[in-house]
Amino acid sequence: MSEAKLPARREFAFGAYVSGAAFTADGETAGFALGSGAIKLVTVADSSVREIAAHKGASLSFAAHPDGNSFLSGGDDGRLVRVARDGETSEVAKFQGKWLDVLATHKSGGFACAFGKEIRYWAPGATEPKTLGPHPSSVAALDFSPDGSRLAAAHYGGASIWQIRNPASAPRKLDWKGSHIVVRYAPNGKFLATTTQDNAIHVWRLANGQDMQMAGYRTKVKALAWTADARYLLSDAADCFVCWDFSGKGPEGQPPVEYGFGDGRAMTAAIAHPDSPFVCGGFENGALRLGDMDSKRDLELRPGADDRKPIRAMAWSPDGWRIAAGAEDGYATVFDLKAKS
Amino acid sequence: MSQPIPVTVLTGYLGAGKTTLLNRILTESHGKKYAVIINEFGEVGIDNDIVVGTDEEIFEMNNGCICCTVRGDLIRTIGGLMKRADALDGIIVETTGLADPAPVAQTFFTDDEVKAKTQLDAVVTVVDAKHFPLRLEDSREAEDQVAFADVVLLNKTDLVSPADLAAVERRIREINPYARIHRTQKSAIELDKILDKGAFDLQRILALDPHFLHDHGHHHDHDDGHDHDPATCDDPTHDHSHDHHHHHHHDAPNPKHADDVFSVAAVVDGPVDPEKFRVWISGILQSQGQNILRSKGVLAVEGAEQRFVFQAVHMIADSTWGQPWRAGEKRGSKLVFIGRKLDAEALKAGFEACKAA
Ligand SMILES: [Zn+2]
Ligand SMILES: [Zn+2]
Repeated sequence: MSEAKLPARREFAFGAYVSGAAFTADGETAGFALGSGAIKLVTVADSSVREIAAHKGASLSFAAHPDGNSFLSGGDDGRLVRVARDGETSEVAKFQGKWLDVLATHKSGGFACAFGKEIRYWAPGATEPKTLGPHPSSVAALDFSPDGSRLAAAHYGGASIWQIRNPASAPRKLDWKGSHIVVRYAPNGKFLATTTQDNAIHVWRLANGQDMQMAGYRTKVKALAWTADARYLLSDAADCFVCWDFSGKGPEGQPPVEYGFGDGRAMTAAIAHPDSPFVCGGFENGALRLGDMDSKRDLELRPGADDRKPIRAMAWSPDGWRIAAGAEDGYATVFDLKAKS
Repeated sequence: MSQPIPVTVLTGYLGAGKTTLLNRILTESHGKKYAVIINEFGEVGIDNDIVVGTDEEIFEMNNGCICCTVRGDLIRTIGGLMKRADALDGIIVETTGLADPAPVAQTFFTDDEVKAKTQLDAVVTVVDAKHFPLRLEDSREAEDQVAFADVVLLNKTDLVSPADLAAVERRIREINPYARIHRTQKSAIELDKILDKGAFDLQRILALDPHFLHDHGHHHDHDDGHDHDPATCDDPTHDHSHDHHHHHHHDAPNPKHADDVFSVAAVVDGPVDPEKFRVWISGILQSQGQNILRSKGVLAVEGAEQRFVFQAVHMIADSTWGQPWRAGEKRGSKLVFIGRKLDAEALKAGFEACKAA
């Protein structure tokens, strides 16, 4: 594709590590969380930026708030903060001395954070959280099931699945040795995927608990994204889109779909389109590439360069027309896929 | 490429004076910004520094080997620290008194992200001069902590007689002849002697050790006529004003066991063949890695202008290219092993066989 067809973009220099990115429900406001503890609110229509001082240290976790009009940010100051699109800020909770580096939200209204071995879960509308845990070791990641009825936690030795309407019941344990650092439900609720410290992906078929291991990565996988149809599981860590095909009998014994080989640098962030079979990857040299799972073709949204830093945060707007991305060096961008530059 | 942040690992048995040292680091006005990772929140004076409390989480790696472990909490904590806007001058990791230092060191050799952003600078072990002999009797950890050390603070020297102090220092030297020893009281030491030393920069350590080529180590062969003249010794780790360790070897109670830690030095008089060395050392670490606590070396590699710097903790190795050789400098290769049940002759012969043809 030619340069002229590239989507319109806005670029920003935020001056600190971009640790998180998210959109409001209408896609009109992009939020970026920074290592300086600030949240940058970008109004996409006019590219205006508002800065909110949310944390003393760094923002370690960031997500769209289920209310659709605000964001949640967890910091290394122990604060979980809600930042509305108009900049209004309120403290949801404070856990003195804890690092809130794990956060998950669900559109039905629930959200959860984790520190140490415990989860704090806010049911839709609740002001006080419930405690889930302790787990056998620190919780490294959380994800809600698509229907919002369950919450999966990744930790050393596997994953635990909580029935959040009944927090007193014991979680379902999915055991696999090693330290699990990412967890992602498939959009159809049928699979749960994790990544492990030893450079592999582990996936459980939830109906029968059967599991499978996907390896071959040179570094650990830190981002997973399922396409909306739950057919492909995209991972970062390789120098292209590596997509495991879960259609038919699934990926066992099959090589993954690989395409979009760029300049040989590793992918450091990965997201999937909310409805259609598109994926987007951010790379360690700052490159951004869009992938089409049907044609297996890719489009370079931003070229990489040796003096550019790794992309660390990405988000797709819920309507699928905008992409936000941010890098270690404070570079941030918002693409509008409808508008052509 | 930004400079990696130096990491100092602070170990020491309970009561040795580690907390006092940590408080010193945190309260002294050093004008630097350190992040200190401790295993619980204590009452420490925090000025400019960042103090992070974590629980030590030892994770086995999936190769099924019990010695291949990393600290999961460290990986996460360092990942979080790297997001912060403020530039750190260093990271200090305190381990619990009973901790095995291996998982901490291995974390810095294995995790991609940790490796990319930080560099293990030194393992500093605080030893209680009075209780160390007892600790050696009742635990393996005390011995391991000394074996891993790049720097030993021989603390509480005011609580023992000069003869006992000399005996303790000798025992430390037997376990680990390559560490720098500083005698202290109440952990009082200038911080520049322990922080950002580049002590893991092995070529420096090895170059500074005049006894390296003498193969001191263990084996109690100190009646070998090794001639040591304090007047010409330039090893700063030697305090020649007191009982020198070479000359008083068997005059203090000093129980020995079959699984005592000792060291082996192997030397090749010239460059090694890189492929032969790679094959040999990976075989050694695979088969004996559980007994080899640390190995480190500086090698001349055939065809390379830079020194090859090698180190490993148990089976997990790390290597980098160091300083280039100077014009006309004699290129030799040195490798040391610190561990238990080492076959010194086999290690030396094996290394010798790696010599470039
Ligand atoms: Zn091992
Ligand atoms: Zn000497």
